[in-house]
Amino acid sequence: MSRDKFGLVRRVLAIRGIGQVLTVTVGLIVLYVVFGIMNPVFFSSRNIANLLRQIAPILLIGIGQSYVLITGNIDLSIGSVVGMSCMISATMMAKGANPWVAVLVTIICCLALGLANGLLVSFAKLPPFIATLGTMTIARGIAQIANNNYNTDSIGEAAQGFRDFFYYGKTFGLYNTIWIALVLWLIFNFILTRTRSGRHIYAVGSNVEAARLSGVNVISATTKAYLVSAFVSCVVGLITAATSGMGTMDAGNSYELYAVAASVIGGISTLGGQGLLFGTVIGASIWGVLQNGLQFAGAPVAIRNIVIGIIVVVSVLLDVIVRSGKGSRKKHISIVA
Amino acid sequence: MSNSPYIVEMNHIIKTFPGVRALDDVSFRLKSGEVMALLGENGAGKSTLMKILSGVYTRDSGDIQIFGNSQIGDLNPRKAQDLGVSIIHQELNMCSHLTVAQNIFLGREVCNGNLLDDNAMNEQAKEVLSSLHIDIAPQTVVGTLAVSKQQMVEIAKALLCDAKILIMDEPTSALTSVEINQLFELIRELKRKGCGIVYISHRLEELQYIVDSVTIMRDGKFIIEKPFNALTMNQIISYMVGREIKEKFPHTLTKKGNKIFAVKHLNAGKLVRDVSFDVFEGEILGIAGLMGAGRTETTRAIFGIDPKESGEIEINGRGVNIKHPEDAIKAGLVLVPEDRKRDGLCVKLSVRENIALPNLDIICNKVGVINRKTERNLVKKAISGLRIKLTTEEVNASSLSGGNQQKVVVGKWLARNSSVVMFDEPTRGIDVASKVEIYHLMNQLKEQGIAVLFVSSEMPEIMGVSDRIVVMCDGKITGELLRQDATQEKIMEYATQFENKLGSR
Amino acid sequence: MKKILIVVCVLLLATSLFAQGAKEDSGYKVYLITMDQMDQHWVNVDKGAQKAAQELGGVDYKWLAPDVKDDAKQIESINNAVAGGADAILLAANGPNAVTAALKEAESAGVKIVYVDSAANYPAVQTLATDNTAAGTTAGKELLGALTSSGVSSGKIGVISVNSATASTVARENGFRIAFEGTGFQILETQYCDGDAARSKDMSANFITQGVVGLFGANEGSTVGIGNAIAEAKKSVIGVGFDKSDMILSLIKGGHLLCTMAQNPDVMGYEGMKTAVKALKGEAIGASYYDTGVSVLTKDNL
Repeated sequence: MSRDKFGLVRRVLAIRGIGQVLTVTVGLIVLYVVFGIMNPVFFSSRNIANLLRQIAPILLIGIGQSYVLITGNIDLSIGSVVGMSCMISATMMAKGANPWVAVLVTIICCLALGLANGLLVSFAKLPPFIATLGTMTIARGIAQIANNNYNTDSIGEAAQGFRDFFYYGKTFGLYNTIWIALVLWLIFNFILTRTRSGRHIYAVGSNVEAARLSGVNVISATTKAYLVSAFVSCVVGLITAATSGMGTMDAGNSYELYAVAASVIGGISTLGGQGLLFGTVIGASIWGVLQNGLQFAGAPVAIRNIVIGIIVVVSVLLDVIVRSGKGSRKKHISIVA
Repeated sequence: MSNSPYIVEMNHIIKTFPGVRALDDVSFRLKSGEVMALLGENGAGKSTLMKILSGVYTRDSGDIQIFGNSQIGDLNPRKAQDLGVSIIHQELNMCSHLTVAQNIFLGREVCNGNLLDDNAMNEQAKEVLSSLHIDIAPQTVVGTLAVSKQQMVEIAKALLCDAKILIMDEPTSALTSVEINQLFELIRELKRKGCGIVYISHRLEELQYIVDSVTIMRDGKFIIEKPFNALTMNQIISYMVGREIKEKFPHTLTKKGNKIFAVKHLNAGKLVRDVSFDVFEGEILGIAGLMGAGRTETTRAIFGIDPKESGEIEINGRGVNIKHPEDAIKAGLVLVPEDRKRDGLCVKLSVRENIALPNLDIICNKVGVINRKTERNLVKKAISGLRIKLTTEEVNASSLSGGNQQKVVVGKWLARNSSVVMFDEPTRGIDVASKVEIYHLMNQLKEQGIAVLFVSSEMPEIMGVSDRIVVMCDGKITGELLRQDATQEKIMEYATQFENKLGSR
Repeated sequence: MKKILIVVCVLLLATSLFAQGAKEDSGYKVYLITMDQMDQHWVNVDKGAQKAAQELGGVDYKWLAPDVKDDAKQIESINNAVAGGADAILLAANGPNAVTAALKEAESAGVKIVYVDSAANYPAVQTLATDNTAAGTTAGKELLGALTSSGVSSGKIGVISVNSATASTVARENGFRIAFEGTGFQILETQYCDGDAARSKDMSANFITQGVVGLFGANEGSTVGIGNAIAEAKKSVIGVGFDKSDMILSLIKGGHLLCTMAQNPDVMGYEGMKTAVKALKGEAIGASYYDTGVSVLTKDNL
């Protein structure tokens, strides 16, 4: 029996990329303990519930950005899609539409943007940085005109079910938001590790020419990654609308960068081809713990920004230094140009 | 279904790229269970022919028969693969983050329903690998394997795709002798299974151990096909290079003077190994060899672009310490690089700015302000001295013809009174008239007592212009010839003198 | 000769009188130029200006604005107003420096300038705007009053604002802090939500976990988040905020927010018009800055 246990441990340790994930898990635990010591209220059950619920949206956008990073690309439109999703759904509900119809319409709009991202990058061969910078602006524009350049009215009593489903309700003692993030993480992790599409996503990020010559449909793989990213951003936008009970045009500001941070801290490489989605869970958790803990510690904004900035820069530096080898420097530049 | 023993028959293949006829009425045949060597110089058309067979390029005209079936219309990589053609490139194409099994099954993953069946794939990969006596665990991440092992994985992958026609491009260049023997065993096994193998290589000494027949190409034409045993090595080399040299190259006879440039025991990585040579006043030293022999790498190491491990450089008898191109330029040593658009010019800047760029120290005053008059004179002198054809010096460098662009690259150095000028493939992609002007320029320089180094892959050119020729192969200097003793055959002999890893004949 | 001269002079005098009178007949041309035409805020400024114009009489009033907030388009509007013969313009400047050149030209054409809501860096007759600092103090006083009347005299207070750069919200926060000086309450580190109501809600929830007794939001997004957090936590935390919106009003009605500070755009338009006409008539103006204040909206007066 104990031999079996060792076998499992050994198999886990052999997973490529597990090293960084284990390291940041330790980092997460340390951070958690430190913040708790600074302000014991941090450990309260009330805060734990809130904290998990605050981590959930970061995990969701992290999943999307991770998929895209693994293909060797980047998605800068994530935050704007969150805003677009929040505004489209809230505008419809504030005008009396059935919440679930609004959800459906919103999902369709966001997926259309994801499709555009995928095709611009893989078919039109635009550099991902430029392509998603463009769709980012377009999505933010759509968020603004959705309700004629105002924030929306309240989405109304009829939307209470919607608000509970996405944010305020609890199931088996945990907030629904947490369940949503967990279930979607399980699904997308499964797809990434156990299906052909997932394998192709890693291959395209590892060596797109080799993948192409092996008969992998590069356009399909790239577009799938962007569709995933658009979908999870859409869900986060719906969560935002549920949280506020209205749509704000500013929703999701800068989220694409948080998504990159969560992914990179968790071990997803910006050079493509490697990283574990489990790492993104840890990365998102670290991000959430930082935001929450720094507030409890009473840190002024400047310190908070510096701390977060340093952690992100160090993670990316480690990523590039550790992973860089011959040829990967070329790849790295390809994200930007 | 024909009764022909040939599994591949290509006839009258023509392929033209803009400006050059890469394949001119070429034929090629391959039998089942045969290893066919495909030989020829760089640029002979071997790669192009094989790319057409494997579907990467489409032919302009000619017919292809695979297993007796005529291929009407164009092939593509997938189609070719389905027909059993597999090509193992010299530049390996593996996803370094994935495992061996994952790479082998990339694009044709084994699934259990909709899910990947990694166990099945690992099993099958293990089978293929052991049937070829390759000792690699299928779960190994490819990026951690040595290049030689990666090559074997590529071969295993090709077999799993049921390849019956295997094209191997320089398969032994990265292998040790033990690994080469393993590879040859593998190839013999494949022969027994009925595969036909096209073996492209410059390592002529190795052919005897594995090759059955030989097809030789030259300048895009099919020259001859014969069983390997029916030809001597000299005959093979002769066929590879035996062109009639019709062009006359301008050559001036200048008195040889003192030693002005010496390179001693230069080592810089795998492609520059213990390189030593001298250049004397009044001579052009040509450096010949095949692609990948290390000639460009040598010039880059001398110029300070790539770091060197050891070696000394002397100019006019005095040692110079070169760590960066700036050091080289200050010492009077300049390089006209192989890729002029990428390394020689700033294509978005004007001709004037390009010529002025490395000469700013001459043009600017002490505070760093550019003296417009000095700049204008310098640029005008360079333009007229080299007869660069342009409307005004303000045009973008990219708008000039290849020949004129090359003159700009050269021109920017000539203002500096250099002692040594190295030219790396200076006439590649240039029209005939401009080529002649470059040859004249090199002659001018040598008459002025400047050491001229001339790297080129075109044998007629090197033999026509140089006073002395040094030949490199696989990072080492394998031979030296005086102009009057040089023949194409001798140069090719030296150029293919790879270290025989399999022991002497 | 003398006779002709006298007749000419009399005629000239009469004509000039007529000219004056003619002007009085068609009234003063006053243009309102806002940042855009859509925001409810500007619609209210326009309503106020219209009201004053009707009351005063003799005013030819027009509302001009670009369709979106854009410096170049606003400059165009100013130039159009001047070309159209404006006597005075009421301007809500997009940016303090962008329009100064156009204003200079307007002034040399004799046009009187009055700022409503946002001033530009150029001298004008008067600026009518919300004194954000004073408004912040008002909000603070409301919160303080509510706390003391429910028996709470010390504790922690949380502040949610937009960012550290936007002048208006920074001023509101400063004003808020002034109201709490010398009291037994401790104001915690301000959290910035970038205007995102969802982020504000998370931050407010964290404040509530830390045991705050009161919360202050410096703009709409911040305030909505505070209200939602208080509603969920079901704890006795008192929240006050800024801006008027459907959601905020419903949170007040639901008892989750105590009150909100709403600007008075209609006062800006109304008083602004009156000032413009006074200036055109040559009357004395008074203060160069007019605080149009905030209305405190509570459950009772909604």
